[in-house]
Amino acid sequence: MMGGYGDVKLLNDDGTRLDGRTVDEMRPVEIKAGILPAAQGSAWVKHGLNVAVVAVYGPMEAHPRKIQRQDRAVLDVRYNMAPFSTSDRIRPGFNRRSREISKVTAEALESVVLLERYPRSKIRVEIEILAAEAGTRCVGITAASVALADAGIPMRDMVVGIASGKIQDTVVLDLDKAEDNYGQADLPMGICPNTGELVFLQMDGDLSIEEYNLATEYNYKAAAEIHEIMVAALKARYDGGEA
Amino acid sequence: MSQGQNGAELRLVTPGSAIGPVSGRRVGTGALIQGDDIIATRVGHVRERHGTVSVDPVASCYMPRSGDLVIGTVIEARSNLWFLDINGPFQALLPMSLAPWKVEFGGTRDHADINDSLLMRVQEVDEVQNVVATMKGIGLRRLAEGAVLTIDVQHIDTLRAEGAALLKRLRDLSDCRLVLADNGRLWADGDAAGIDWLRALLRAVAAAGRSDRFEAILEAHAANAPNQGDA
Amino acid sequence: MAAPVPSLLRQELERLAESDQRIDGRGRWDRREVQLEVDILYNAEGSAKVTWGDTVVYAGVKFELRTPWPDRPTQGSLMCGAELRPVAHRKYEPGPPSPQSIELGRVVDRGIRESGCIDMEALCIVPGEKVWGVMIDIHVLSDGGNIFDACGLAAIAALRTAVVPAERFDVGEDHVLAVKGTPVMASFQRVGGRFVYDPSEDEETGGEERIHITLGDEEHLHSLQKGLKGAFTPAEFAEILEVARTHCGELRELVSSMEGN
Repeated sequence: MMGGYGDVKLLNDDGTRLDGRTVDEMRPVEIKAGILPAAQGSAWVKHGLNVAVVAVYGPMEAHPRKIQRQDRAVLDVRYNMAPFSTSDRIRPGFNRRSREISKVTAEALESVVLLERYPRSKIRVEIEILAAEAGTRCVGITAASVALADAGIPMRDMVVGIASGKIQDTVVLDLDKAEDNYGQADLPMGICPNTGELVFLQMDGDLSIEEYNLATEYNYKAAAEIHEIMVAALKARYDGGEA
Repeated sequence: MSQGQNGAELRLVTPGSAIGPVSGRRVGTGALIQGDDIIATRVGHVRERHGTVSVDPVASCYMPRSGDLVIGTVIEARSNLWFLDINGPFQALLPMSLAPWKVEFGGTRDHADINDSLLMRVQEVDEVQNVVATMKGIGLRRLAEGAVLTIDVQHIDTLRAEGAALLKRLRDLSDCRLVLADNGRLWADGDAAGIDWLRALLRAVAAAGRSDRFEAILEAHAANAPNQGDA
Repeated sequence: MAAPVPSLLRQELERLAESDQRIDGRGRWDRREVQLEVDILYNAEGSAKVTWGDTVVYAGVKFELRTPWPDRPTQGSLMCGAELRPVAHRKYEPGPPSPQSIELGRVVDRGIRESGCIDMEALCIVPGEKVWGVMIDIHVLSDGGNIFDACGLAAIAALRTAVVPAERFDVGEDHVLAVKGTPVMASFQRVGGRFVYDPSEDEETGGEERIHITLGDEEHLHSLQKGLKGAFTPAEFAEILEVARTHCGELRELVSSMEGN
């Protein structure tokens, strides 16, 4: 995502971004829980033009034996992009990027799920990206948290995925596709709104310490907003739940 | 609307929500202590009883406990034991020694074959979730007739509450023998009309999603139940 | 690992069949509720979402520029795939595509391809050099029974509302993909001894063989597939073919109502 595209203008003269957002404004987010009838727990998240759908199954016996742990459950996370999710079609099959994202997403969620309750088990988290517009790994994390909660899996917190970055030497919240392609840095995070802890962190590009701090501040602010939408989606599933 | 014992609305919380300060209270299911606060770990309603704060989850999967009455389906029959699906994370193991029949080594399938439904009790669940079932006990048997219906585990407590009042009502209206198992299964035996009525009722309950309107839906279906009895 | 099929379920299905009933209360030839949405995926040139009872599937159409096959220099290409991923049900464990998944893709592909609804010549840009490749991908997100019909419907609905992205590839103006006809699939399964239309999950679990019929606009047969163990008679087939005509007609109208939006 780095380099060579410095001539693309991503900020208007008045400081707004190409889609009209201010530097610290998030794309619109919509969340629904319980949308897949076959799943134990599920979520649908639309973030900008990204769409992620997650199904959770489990706990169930962990197979194959080699992944089983005697003292706790394992999270078996599969992040997958549908062939039609991107501008150029993705051929189905093994994908290194997806495998890496599956791993770090599992590690993020394992930090909040109360795994010790279910020794020798696994909990399947199936993340399907139906439309991609920059930030899919973050949307996947958010959707996975809602789906886990929807499935009744105990967690000490939910994880909110959100990224900030830098374009034209300016730190901005929630990169969209053009900004991700032509920008200078990308900082996705997985934030626990309850404790303020980070369970997911990646970064690429070029950020000074001050820029990193500002990007972090933007991420935390947005995470609080997204968290409210997550909570509302879960409560809406329950008949007579509070607004 | 979910009502507490004194009619007050119960608060709906989500994982990570702060329920309140510990203040000398204990925590039960669905909650944990984090520093000085009690936080929820599930989506559910906050309940406080006798100094214990817990969260009644709106959704949960069946987790076997010792003593549970369960209906299982035979998956595998080995020489001296059976493996059964009991709708939980792990299969249950029924050893020959805990079966109600006199089984010969190698003759397990003569008594309970693959796909048979057995009414059992959970004898023991160890710390790594191995489940041993038993059929030594009154009423435990192979279910040869009738239908096994699925019911969300959330509704089991509702049906068993107040001396199983709602379960009795179901029995009366359907005119069927009913056995409610803890693992989200209900065995019904009786006339086709009764079983079909029960099935239609449970479909309506499932369609209503996550709610506590079981009783209301039941009463709405009472009018076309096979046995009106003493309404 | 697939869940076991209780013998009691099979007994129930037989009993219900004897009194002409189905386990979910439907009539023998009744269809579950179907909802169709199109143009709902922003990166796909054509897309559809089908909610069919408890089954949910998405189909996306993508285009690519390619060189034609040497023996067909003026024809484009069509590729249709279906993925039955672990997201769709507890019983689908991760791993390489299962025979079931592969069969699903191929059956849906044949239904579309053999109907000739895609004008392959119209996909030609420069004969012998440049043609359009049409790729339909179907993604099953929830398997609540009868994924075949849901996938078939999503595929044709996505195709009929697809826009060829000529401008992006600099080969002309964007235009609606030329699709003549609307092939629709109807699936039947033997449950409790007799065939029923649109099997639900319980019926698939406790049932026997299934038959998939794709009919085109003139009610010509375009593809047939019998799956699973079992045998049927020509008379049984004639009966379900009649039922297929009615349902395929209704679903064809549903797809038409989505076009031009």
